[in-house]
Amino acid sequence: MTYSIFKSVKLINPATNFNQKTTVVIKNDKIIKISKDFNLEQFKKDKQTIIYDCDGLTISPGIFDMRVNIGKTENLKSTQITAAENGITSMAILPNQTPKLNNPSIIDHIKRQSEDINLPKVMVYGAATKDLNSLEMSEIGLMSEMGAIGFTNGNKSIKNSLVMRRLMSYAAMINRPVIQHAEDEDLSGLNQASTTSIKGEMNEGEISTRLGLIGIPACAEVIMIERDIRLAKLTGVHYHVAHVSTRDAVNVIREAKKSGLNITCDTAPPYFALNESKLLTYNTAFKLSPPLRSEDDRLAIIEGIQDGTIDAIASDHRARSKDTKAQPFSAASVGASGIETLFSITLDLVNKNIVDINKAISFLTINPAKIFGIDSPSLEEEKVADFIVFDENELHTIKQENLKTSPTPFDGKEIHGKILATYINGQVACMNQIFKNKIIK
Amino acid sequence: MNELLKNNYEVSKSSPVKLSSHHLLAIEGMQKSEIQKLLDRADYFANLDKHTDTKYLSGYVVLNVFFENSTRTRVSFELAARRLGAEVINISLINSSIKKGESLLDTASTLNAMKPDLLIVRHPHSGAPLLFAKYLSCSIINAGDGRHEHPTQALLDALTIKRRIGYLEGLKISICGDIANSRVARSNIHLLTTMGAEVRCVAPSTLMPSSLEKLGVKCFNDMKEGIKDTDVVMLLRLQNERMSGTENPSEREYFKFFGLDETKLSMANSNAVIMHPGPMNRGVEIASALADDTNRSLIKTQVEMGVAVRMSIIEALNHSKNKT
Repeated sequence: MTYSIFKSVKLINPATNFNQKTTVVIKNDKIIKISKDFNLEQFKKDKQTIIYDCDGLTISPGIFDMRVNIGKTENLKSTQITAAENGITSMAILPNQTPKLNNPSIIDHIKRQSEDINLPKVMVYGAATKDLNSLEMSEIGLMSEMGAIGFTNGNKSIKNSLVMRRLMSYAAMINRPVIQHAEDEDLSGLNQASTTSIKGEMNEGEISTRLGLIGIPACAEVIMIERDIRLAKLTGVHYHVAHVSTRDAVNVIREAKKSGLNITCDTAPPYFALNESKLLTYNTAFKLSPPLRSEDDRLAIIEGIQDGTIDAIASDHRARSKDTKAQPFSAASVGASGIETLFSITLDLVNKNIVDINKAISFLTINPAKIFGIDSPSLEEEKVADFIVFDENELHTIKQENLKTSPTPFDGKEIHGKILATYINGQVACMNQIFKNKIIK
Repeated sequence: MNELLKNNYEVSKSSPVKLSSHHLLAIEGMQKSEIQKLLDRADYFANLDKHTDTKYLSGYVVLNVFFENSTRTRVSFELAARRLGAEVINISLINSSIKKGESLLDTASTLNAMKPDLLIVRHPHSGAPLLFAKYLSCSIINAGDGRHEHPTQALLDALTIKRRIGYLEGLKISICGDIANSRVARSNIHLLTTMGAEVRCVAPSTLMPSSLEKLGVKCFNDMKEGIKDTDVVMLLRLQNERMSGTENPSEREYFKFFGLDETKLSMANSNAVIMHPGPMNRGVEIASALADDTNRSLIKTQVEMGVAVRMSIIEALNHSKNKT
């Protein structure tokens, strides 16, 4: 009989719209009590009871990171561990890894391999098309039976319109969403040649002109979304747009939602926190897909977050080796790490008075769960104790040298908000020293 | 010119230029005064008799590192360095270590370990010389990087114009052709606007980069309009190797609308001069007869000025490194 007690903690639970100072008691894997006033003495008798003085700290549901790439620099387990350290209690991984997640047995394998009671739950997207080539539909029904939560070509778009139509139709039948990396790859120059000399490298505009880099026009994103919306109408699928980055895309999605279409979308911290001017020194940490856009696009992403057009915030984690980034911009790999900064950059929206904290936490927890029809994480009595403890005000500087994954596009950024502990199934998945010092018994 | 200014001018011509950096990576961001001094010093070198002893840099080691084909730029740098008495080693890396899988930075740091004083780098990727400068201790000259900049070309073009016309400020200069893929265009735009010239860019819409007017130039799709009353017509090579095949219907169509011929040139100032960074495609960017018109074409002078300009730059980088 061991109890962990979090005394005088601010509990934020978006599912019940709860935001109050209270005391939380957990036992085994469950929350057994949430109450402002009750007698701690009864618990103190138990020798193994641990009481944390959480005055000034906050508890919320753990993060569901709905977009994680596991690349060559990582493996599933190492990513799970890093994720747990950064407040993530569930994560969905993309199919574009080696080998590709394009058949039911590999989905099953990943699910089994990742089952660790004390690490973040791993959910899996199946490859929408075999070899992610947009030519043939994968066995999405069988993968769905094995637990695939949705279907996507990962970081490539589902390009062929006929294939997309069939895929959407079939996905609607088996009640799974289709997730699109929205980019007209012909327009962005990604299909034209194997050489880097005419491949789209960054957002098109004054800065690409100054730098002599090949521009990707912003409309490459919305063109794909507009096509897909018409196919979604035709098929009735739940269509989800990943990492939305432009004003036009936000506008089109907003209208589609108004018309009653089953459409959702997410964005990632770089798209609301940074813009293309970061590229002026050819820093390859900012070479992302979609590319960092204009300041106007960034502001539109923030508007989309505020008015709910954007449903969720995901890390879009795509760590890369230093070697593939220490290259001329054109030759460098695409992507940046994200799981280690997802929480603090999202919380920065609160510090900048863009959204309140309940809403910020929703973007990371219940909103992505709703997209996939998964039980919304909720901190209530008798519910599973998956949660994070954090200090909203702790000021710290993000430094690449302190991170496990690279490259971070937020190196040097001073920020409020730090995860102190992550609990998964009532167990400590990670806890830092600051929080250990809060033990009063 | 009053006496005091004249004296200063003579002093700046007869001594090495000191720059704020010991690299030359781009024209963008350079001060007008620095450009002015480099041009003055280059003018001084250009006036010297070929046999004048200018071997100020004996023992100075220059590596000419070319990741892309080049004849004129490589030779011009080599001559400039040799005339200053430096040791020059030419390295062509188009086919060697890169093919063996070595990363660019490893190649660069291997070269750096041999303790050269200066690396002159040409690379097909925009920004590559900046990467070298970030990691290596020696001076770096950008000898052309991707579509980004070719600063020494812009300086030699400016010197060519100054020596012919006498000044840059207020001149109308039209840069015509494949602006989108041209590093020469970008360096010239930055240099000429900094020096107070009125710069116009003429290109088909498919070869006009996005938001170019924000660099302080006027943009034209009609060549006759773009070179009307202009003092200098600068042509650029169609860089087919950097295109996807959808930019131009054909070379003959390009020549019809954007190739410089007598009719179009008649729109320009009657004394207007013609420039081209080379290599040129006769009958595509320029009518062959115009290219050979020694009264109007400064193409050969450009090549000649290249050596003088590069001497002034190499000397300046050495001077700037020693003093910082």
